[in-house]
Amino acid sequence: MTEKSPVMDDLTDFAVREHRSLWLDAWRCLIANRTAMVGLVVVAIFVLSSVGAHFFWNYDAEMDLDYGSKLLAPVLRVSEESPEIHIFGTDKLGRDIFRRVVHGGWNSLRVGLVAVSISLFVGSILGLFAGFFESADLNRFEKTLLMVGIGLGLGALPAWIARQPIQSLLFGLLGIVSVSTPSFLANKSRLRRLAFGLLGMLIGALAGIFVGPMVALVCGVIGLGIGLLLAKPVNGKVFSNIVMRVMDVILSFPSYLLAIAIVAFLGPGLEKGMIAIGVVGIPIYARLARSAVLSVTQKEYVLAAQSVGEGHGRILFRHILPNILSPIIVQATMGLANAILSAAALGFLGLGAIPPEPEWGAMLGDSYKYLSSGAWWAVLFPGLAIMFSVLGFNLLGDGLRDALDPKMRV
Amino acid sequence: MGRYILRRLISVIPTLIGVTLVIFLFQRLIPGDPAVAMLGEHATAENVARIREQLGLDKPAFLDRDALAEGDLPGFFDSQYVSYFGRLLHFDLGNSIHRRIPIAETLKERFPATVELALLAMGLSLIIGIPIGILSAARRNSILDGTTMVGSLVGVSVPIFWLGIMEIMLFAVILKWLPSGGRLSSGIEIEPITNLFLLDSLLTGNWVGFTDALKHIIMPAVSLATIPTAIITRMTRSSMLDVLQEDYIRTASAKGLSEKVVLFRHALKNAFLPVITIIGIQAGSLLAGAVLTETIFSWPGIGKWVYDSILGRDYPIVQGVTLLIAIIFMLVNLLVDLSYAVLDPRISYE
Repeated sequence: MTEKSPVMDDLTDFAVREHRSLWLDAWRCLIANRTAMVGLVVVAIFVLSSVGAHFFWNYDAEMDLDYGSKLLAPVLRVSEESPEIHIFGTDKLGRDIFRRVVHGGWNSLRVGLVAVSISLFVGSILGLFAGFFESADLNRFEKTLLMVGIGLGLGALPAWIARQPIQSLLFGLLGIVSVSTPSFLANKSRLRRLAFGLLGMLIGALAGIFVGPMVALVCGVIGLGIGLLLAKPVNGKVFSNIVMRVMDVILSFPSYLLAIAIVAFLGPGLEKGMIAIGVVGIPIYARLARSAVLSVTQKEYVLAAQSVGEGHGRILFRHILPNILSPIIVQATMGLANAILSAAALGFLGLGAIPPEPEWGAMLGDSYKYLSSGAWWAVLFPGLAIMFSVLGFNLLGDGLRDALDPKMRV
Repeated sequence: MGRYILRRLISVIPTLIGVTLVIFLFQRLIPGDPAVAMLGEHATAENVARIREQLGLDKPAFLDRDALAEGDLPGFFDSQYVSYFGRLLHFDLGNSIHRRIPIAETLKERFPATVELALLAMGLSLIIGIPIGILSAARRNSILDGTTMVGSLVGVSVPIFWLGIMEIMLFAVILKWLPSGGRLSSGIEIEPITNLFLLDSLLTGNWVGFTDALKHIIMPAVSLATIPTAIITRMTRSSMLDVLQEDYIRTASAKGLSEKVVLFRHALKNAFLPVITIIGIQAGSLLAGAVLTETIFSWPGIGKWVYDSILGRDYPIVQGVTLLIAIIFMLVNLLVDLSYAVLDPRISYE
């Protein structure tokens, strides 16, 4: 820290300073932050080297075999015993470890990137909608959509039991009826519920009677329940509750244990690893986005946008989304670090890249059994690659948090 | 508060059912016929039939609509999931495919090993993480603080399985100070009381057993403790920094109280809540991290068992252990939630 921080300058000439966007501001903070710059450089080195290697440095993993030079310690100079330079040594099949580490980066980073993209995209969208509909009143269209969705979804159960898809549609219709008749027996809510319950029971039982008496009974009971539920037009809280409950279930598992279990059942493979790590990460972003949305929906600019009659979609994507991006970006950067670690763990357990495809975790898993023969180089370098790439993203994320979060700038 | 506890307990039930559903659905992820996948291509028809029956694969997954159409109401609920859930209620996790013995039995043998490892790792990370976090908050921007921050960042970035391998290389292969794996040297016996070897050997005054068990557990515990230590340190530091800016801290210092009293009596109490949350979350990462750590150190706990079962495609074991870990994780977080009400009287749940 210098004696006089840049923030102080900003304060003094606040009135006269030129207009700067949040992102430009953040960028300036980022490049002023030493740790963040270190992180950025490390990340850049890894990204550039692995992308460069993938496109410009030919490597055929299938053909890479040289028993003559297996488990060679690092050789930095050409001599008579070792005609080739292996700066990281060679592994049990005589493959140059440096080459495989650089090429492995492409796989390891790609898994991280795709996995985080999955969790980021799905999680943020879910959280965005959950948070927004929890705090805002639904308009008529959205209410209808929600009720039809609930009717169709719940109606699918009796429809499946009786093999009559029409039932599901009928329950969807009942949802529409419920939204479009909010005044129907409004002051006699018990009567209204009874009416809807009976209607639901009729839909279930009448359709079921064609299949069998028992089916009619069961579908009737289910229909009664659905009807009672549909009697009360819901608000967005229901949607949010459902989403967050599902997220809770995923969060009940320690995250990468769940990823390991999913891939264990799906079978090994890079793509499956990406999906598993991605799915497991969804709740973090959903929770983050939801709480961020909840904290901004009562801000003046959102209320102003609502009062001038802007549509919900516009408010959500033009006003709310840009203002909740920064915590999500920070989380995504840290998430990349975690995803790379999880991917390496999967690879180490033999659930990631299928050999001989190079991948850092898998390289470690391959080589650690040869440890007793003293081949330290075969495990040291892939591990260092994992550590430094993860460290790079963590440093960058830390710096980004300082840069993007004004509260942290003191 | 009794009502809050009750409500919180009830709210766990739907999540718990969701968890069993997820674990049940794992089986559906297996490409092809699960019975064949578990036994391999060359399985005998008789074995395949046995597994199919054991897993209930001849029944429908959730509800039997054909039985219902024939008027059989109880038959309607006779499905794979319902019987799976029913067995879980009797603490029956099914049988191992290959060894054909109940999973719950092997679990009883293996679980204490993991608990011992996880408890020691958690203890290490609390003993190291909290004091260092407090100190670096108190000496903000000092060399100690800088080192701590860098160290904790490195700590969360190290793949723990790699750290374990490096430890083995250094201390077992090169220096030969510590054994590279296992829980106890052969020939050494510890009278089982709790099956936590460190505790048992202390209780029976078995010093040889204690030192041997300690030598075996120290490396896995250290590598398992790395990430929690780093995270607990960071959390303690940032939470202390928040609290140290409060007015009552300045008042306490202005009154002339010693720094030690201010830090530990005034600040720490209030900085502790977020730390407890993190401890709860880290409990999960300890149990999950056990899969990697135990694999490297051949530690005979549930993590190594999961790894072996994945390799052997003994899927019921993977399901059973995952369920157990998820339930423990949920319980720990429930305790964390409940402890808030006790620790912070400002939080009123009535």
